[in-house]
Amino acid sequence: MNERCAKTLTIMLALPALLLPAACLLYILFKGIPALDWAMLSGSSQDAAFGSISALWPQITGSLLLMLGACLLAAPVALGGTLFYALAANIRQRKALLGIMHLLVGIPPIVYGLCGLIVLVHMLHWGISLLTGMVILAVIILPMLLMNSVNAIKRIPSEKTAAARALGLSNGQLIRRVWLPAAWPALMTGLLLGMARALSETAPILFTATVFSGVSWPDSLFSPVTSLQTHLFYLAQEGANAEAVDIAWASAVILIILVTALSFGASALRNIRMNG
Amino acid sequence: MLNLWMRTSALISLLVVVVMLGFLLQQSWPYWQHDGLNPLLSGDWYPYEHLFGLAAAIIGSFWAALIALAIAIPTGLAAAVMSTEILPGPWRSLMRSGMELLAGIPSVVYGLLGLWILLPLLQSNLHLLTGHNLLAAGLLLSVMVLPTIMVMTQDALCEVSSHQRDTAASLGMGWSARLWRVLLPQAWPGIRSGILLALGRALGETMAVMLVVGSMDRIPDPWYNLLAPAQTLTSRIGREIGESAFGSMHFSALMACGLLLALITITISMLAHIRSDKISVNRP
Amino acid sequence: MQRISYFILAAVFLGAQAHDAAAVTLHAAGSTTVLPVVSTAAAAYHRQHPDVTITVSGGGSGVGIASMIQHTADIGMASREIDAEEAAKLNGKVDVLTIAKDAVAVVVSKAVYVGGVHQLSLRQIADIYRGKIKNWETLGGPDAQILVIDKEASRGTRHVFAEAVLGDAHARAPGASVISGSNNEEQALVAHSDQAIGMLSNAWLNDDVRGIAVGEGNKAIFPDIGHVRDSSYPISRSLHILLSKKGPPEAREFANFLLSPQGQAIVKKSGYLPVR
Repeated sequence: MNERCAKTLTIMLALPALLLPAACLLYILFKGIPALDWAMLSGSSQDAAFGSISALWPQITGSLLLMLGACLLAAPVALGGTLFYALAANIRQRKALLGIMHLLVGIPPIVYGLCGLIVLVHMLHWGISLLTGMVILAVIILPMLLMNSVNAIKRIPSEKTAAARALGLSNGQLIRRVWLPAAWPALMTGLLLGMARALSETAPILFTATVFSGVSWPDSLFSPVTSLQTHLFYLAQEGANAEAVDIAWASAVILIILVTALSFGASALRNIRMNG
Repeated sequence: MLNLWMRTSALISLLVVVVMLGFLLQQSWPYWQHDGLNPLLSGDWYPYEHLFGLAAAIIGSFWAALIALAIAIPTGLAAAVMSTEILPGPWRSLMRSGMELLAGIPSVVYGLLGLWILLPLLQSNLHLLTGHNLLAAGLLLSVMVLPTIMVMTQDALCEVSSHQRDTAASLGMGWSARLWRVLLPQAWPGIRSGILLALGRALGETMAVMLVVGSMDRIPDPWYNLLAPAQTLTSRIGREIGESAFGSMHFSALMACGLLLALITITISMLAHIRSDKISVNRP
Repeated sequence: MQRISYFILAAVFLGAQAHDAAAVTLHAAGSTTVLPVVSTAAAAYHRQHPDVTITVSGGGSGVGIASMIQHTADIGMASREIDAEEAAKLNGKVDVLTIAKDAVAVVVSKAVYVGGVHQLSLRQIADIYRGKIKNWETLGGPDAQILVIDKEASRGTRHVFAEAVLGDAHARAPGASVISGSNNEEQALVAHSDQAIGMLSNAWLNDDVRGIAVGEGNKAIFPDIGHVRDSSYPISRSLHILLSKKGPPEAREFANFLLSPQGQAIVKKSGYLPVR
């Protein structure tokens, strides 16, 4: 009886955790899907006046560009850092590297935004631009990419590495022939999760990379963009304009679909790794 | 070539930290120099009168985070216990997927949900002048940090060895005694890390908080009044950063908010990291 | 792997660059009161001059002026005059062009208006913002507490309102219950409450957000364009755009477009008083 009591109590307490994901998702879909089709198809942001914004294509493009740029900048550094950890570092350096990564993970994204504002926007005179946003997002996802790939390399059985060494493989050959074939699903999983993260960050790019309207395709890396995340933020505040709020919900749906697709891709790859 | 790439990458990671903290300190230096640590005690923030007190925002940040934890810790722990100790295997991964879904929802979407569901609910049910307040921010944050606590607790519980579970069972301990005397104490270091990470996340969350907190620079009066609009460090930065000219005292004060936020969250994540380090050392 | 990623980065960069060599992107930022005019005009201007793209973002007059000081925008938008501190930083490097005029309306929720509050004197409004009057009943309205909406300190509407009502553009408002940012955010707050008072440009008035007459007895004036034109409404102002003296010539051409009959028609359509 006592046991059943305790279990019931636990389940009661846990109920919000069971219901919230479904409730949030269903509510967003319920609000967003009806607005989705015409929000996607009509007009372009150039033609739209304030408050009657339609067609989310420029925003989607902007978000994807920021995400891709961030990954392309962060991935080589993360991989290089991982190889340093695995091949060149002594124990103290390893500890220091992981310590720094833990430290970076803990810093709130908006602080990265502030630093980007000081260094990139003002000191390097990049202005409010696509490149600024890419670099800031790259720094934000760097620690998660690096820690993930360090774990991936650590998980390769040491016998494999030892065997390769015994065969006289150089570092480069070891990486190409042994490590990459064994670790690529894990590395890709990390990359996909990093992309999902870059796609959902809003605060750090709000005042460093994006503008409200007027961009369909950025002229250069030094032009600002529009993004789905920041667009959603602006529209969320337009409570008195029903149309804008509908589009905000539609943007939320698109954003969640993109992020979820990336996470699903990541878990699919994780399963390959486990089965393979 | 390989060597150069490796070393450059490692150096970049190190430089990022140095550059970030360095420039935050440099830019906020005029502010600290001007007033010392006095503004930490004052709640008056009037940029045009050159009054930059941080107390209201600091208190607001901590209140919001505390509310979030007060809700998320019991719920997250119960959910983790339920998924590992009560439900059969397939349900476990389903609950975990649910949590990962919740964790994947971008914060600005939570802001939208807060603005359109939470605020009207609070306003009409509690008969408030406005739903914009610390309670709203705390409730929203509790949903956002719930996955962190739940997932970390679940991992920690799964790592309690079956040997210990069997011993406890053979001693004739009941389900709840096993939970309280064996499982939770054994898993505590991991749970603690989860809670600290959640605290850091709650303190640093910007978009969702900014949309619902009301942005009033006022210390809650009386101190437990959570139903009035307030301010947090993050929402202050988010709201005012665009309008402060680079190099002005206002800009410097906002950078001080950022530096403070960075230092607090770094301390918290270091505490969490040291903890998790110890577990892995102790593990056979 | 690395080579591929750099190749892609280069391709993205070139793709962005290849858009049009002669294309110019101008960035406008600032007052959300001026934003609808500039945003609509930017779209119209882009149709006539496809090589000029104008991106627009909000943030408030403070942002508009700050971005001229920091050279982060080509066109600043402001719904107030530049104050002494800002003028010192701008150091005469910026031209101010007045493109329209409007009224800062004192707005109340529909329920308050219907409940009997149609006009307030400047003194009564000041008492509300100073926290001396807390209930609508005192003012002949329904028995409900007053939700006093203040604006962020650097907002143009805030400056103009505080100067007219409280006597100083930067005066504190101890009676305020909540702070809002953009016009849209404030409009939403007023519309979703039934006991609110706030300040908004006359272009944002609608059925849920009612402007009340300002003044004593039968001399009270409603905030409409006619009363801005004959200068009888006490809280009216000019809307400006700011151009850097050394800025791109295209920005100046766009400013001329705003002052042309076509631009002034957009001003009128947006709900403001044209200046030409």
